[in-house]
Amino acid sequence: MHKRYLSAAMAAVVALALSACGGAAGGGSTGGATDAKGQTLNVWIMKGTNPDSEAFFDSVGQEFTKETGAKLNVEYVQWAGAHDRFVTAIAGSTTPDVAETGNTWTAEFADSGALAPIGDKVKEAGLDGDLVKGLAESGTYDGELYGMPWYAGVRSIIYRTDVFKELGLTPPTNWQELVNVATVIKTKRPDLIPFPVPGDAEMLAYPWVWGAGGDVSVQKGDNWESGLASDKAREGIRFYTDLATKHGFSTAGATTWKETDVLDNFTQGKVAMAISGSWTPATILAKAPALKGKLGAIPIPGKDGGISPSVLGGSHLSVFNTAKNKDLAWAFVKLMSTGKFAREWASKSGYFPGQKSLLDDTIKSDDPLVKSFAKQMVDGGASVPVTPKFGAVQAKKTTNSMIQAILSGQKTVDEATSSAAAEMDAIMNGKKTP
Amino acid sequence: MTVGLKQPPVDEGRKPQPSAGGRPPKRRRLLTMAKARPWLLLAPALILLAGLLLWPLARVFIFSLQDYGLRQIVSGKTKFIGLDNYAEVFGDSSLWTVVLPNTIGFAIVAVASTVIFGTLVALLMASLSPLWRTVVGSAVMVAWAMPAVTGTYVWIWIFDADQGLVNATLKGLGLMDESFNWFTNPVTFYGIVALNIVHHGFPFVAITVLAGLLGVPKEMLEAAEMDGAGPIRRFFQITYPTIKPVFSVVVILSTIWDFKVFAQIYLMPGGSGSNREVLNLGVWSYVESFGQNRYGFGAAIAVLLTVLLLIITAIYVRTLFKEEKV
Repeated sequence: MHKRYLSAAMAAVVALALSACGGAAGGGSTGGATDAKGQTLNVWIMKGTNPDSEAFFDSVGQEFTKETGAKLNVEYVQWAGAHDRFVTAIAGSTTPDVAETGNTWTAEFADSGALAPIGDKVKEAGLDGDLVKGLAESGTYDGELYGMPWYAGVRSIIYRTDVFKELGLTPPTNWQELVNVATVIKTKRPDLIPFPVPGDAEMLAYPWVWGAGGDVSVQKGDNWESGLASDKAREGIRFYTDLATKHGFSTAGATTWKETDVLDNFTQGKVAMAISGSWTPATILAKAPALKGKLGAIPIPGKDGGISPSVLGGSHLSVFNTAKNKDLAWAFVKLMSTGKFAREWASKSGYFPGQKSLLDDTIKSDDPLVKSFAKQMVDGGASVPVTPKFGAVQAKKTTNSMIQAILSGQKTVDEATSSAAAEMDAIMNGKKTP
Repeated sequence: MTVGLKQPPVDEGRKPQPSAGGRPPKRRRLLTMAKARPWLLLAPALILLAGLLLWPLARVFIFSLQDYGLRQIVSGKTKFIGLDNYAEVFGDSSLWTVVLPNTIGFAIVAVASTVIFGTLVALLMASLSPLWRTVVGSAVMVAWAMPAVTGTYVWIWIFDADQGLVNATLKGLGLMDESFNWFTNPVTFYGIVALNIVHHGFPFVAITVLAGLLGVPKEMLEAAEMDGAGPIRRFFQITYPTIKPVFSVVVILSTIWDFKVFAQIYLMPGGSGSNREVLNLGVWSYVESFGQNRYGFGAAIAVLLTVLLLIITAIYVRTLFKEEKV
């Protein structure tokens, strides 16, 4: 409370200072250093699944001050409650100047009118040809770029190489092999969870829908049509939930787990295989150094071989309309998403950079962990529907409640998929949302 | 929360009505002054209440008549849609099958358990020596002082499916073969919420009832004992009638608290919307407002909750006053 009051006061002072020196800030060719001595840029960075990033942002802050004279104030926001926090801040005009926004949220926030367009600045800086396509698409709303691609991530399967070696297993390459491998782990290492199926993590469910040939939702004319209740999608969801309900590869607790709970349990050494993001191995090793050299990754196997596509996730850096000094905000965005800091963030965190030129370097890496994730990203990257309405579907937890209801036995696969598809259609076709 | 400073101050009765004769006789003027004085003294409190309570309440009602989302907030444009939000609330089948039964059923169980348990603790404390009363009283206060969020997490850990104390104990005793997830079944879910709420709510009941108990005349109790009345009869025929108003207050307040319980449900695994079987009015309103950016619809749910509580409170207060007149 006190802090917010302070920063509001600071903003007022900044505004006064700006209007006082009028033309100085206005001319703003963004190439050179913006002189913003005495100003503070408030930034929200997500945390929860990312590796600890405070040291990184300390050095970013120093460089930022050197370049612009302004101070950098980074606030870390938990992924879990971040969407609500953004929405509340937008409603109360207390948004930061710049924030990391999950790539499925950017269009939604832009739709509300809270974000400032940055397309012109990107073009001016000559960066528009070098953005990773998927991320640039999700950062675009109504033909205008609102989210600067910062990093991309993709989910694959991580597993314990030591357990696989001990039991003489090879990583699965199709769905049947996944079941076989997990069965061996279940019987020979009962202390481990072979393959957790969390009930509150939608991103871990979509690969099975796509892997079976189904769709989450596709646009037909002006309407969105959910494919969750199709035979193919049902087959994928049935396979995924059967891993828990029929084969017992998961645990009772996982029915209400979030993705972070899967990560926690893997870190504690209780899990043999799990779907996990490319950014998690670094986090796991930082928290549990004992697992060093015992981590492997494979792309999520396709039903009969190949790869099941998984969500190409990632984050944008977005400038909010509440930012008093948009040039300063852009200076920060540019500093973060290009050159040295973008490369350092990508290599440290296990993310893939949002710039094509940097991404190509990463993909050539020799690290087997990085290689598997890169393969998933290049050959098996997919996107959830790109529309502001999908943010509302996520907030409603439509897919999560579908999986959870199946896992807890409240509904059959057919019932749960039908009601989830109906709900998704109602929200995405604007019957319920403004 | 916006505080409506523009709200016209409530000042009924502050200015004496001009009387028909133009120049009122001195006596009558004194009388009106006397009548106005209590209102004058109440005015600061009333103005504050109007600003802090009535105006937000009115705002929520106004929102509930609009299609009010993020875009409307940012652009400042309003779009009135009449009673459409209410029609949607009442037309939603989950209101009748899940939300209302959960809200009302839980409130009944939680209020009854809190009041009964709190009263038992109060009776225990009343019969203790001052030293032990202080000891028990402080122990009770600790439960009261625990923040709702902290308390909720402790209960979540106790009932955790894989590593929780309850499952481990049940398995250790051989009463259960496989871990059970207590949060997926609505009955066990609300059972845990009830434990949490009773644990957090009984100290207030105990302390309030204890204050009442200490005011019950000892002579009457002794006389009843001489007449051969047992402890149960003494409680229901002497203690309870004497401190009935205390019980009414405790029950009304507990009802209001337990109807609008939010954090203790939202924070539980599955409670934030992924388990649709456990939604109650408070969580439903929140999920719709802030997740879906449908503040108008969320406001309509909130208005419904307020009206429900007003009705219940009105009934309680009526019965309370009726009995006092008799």
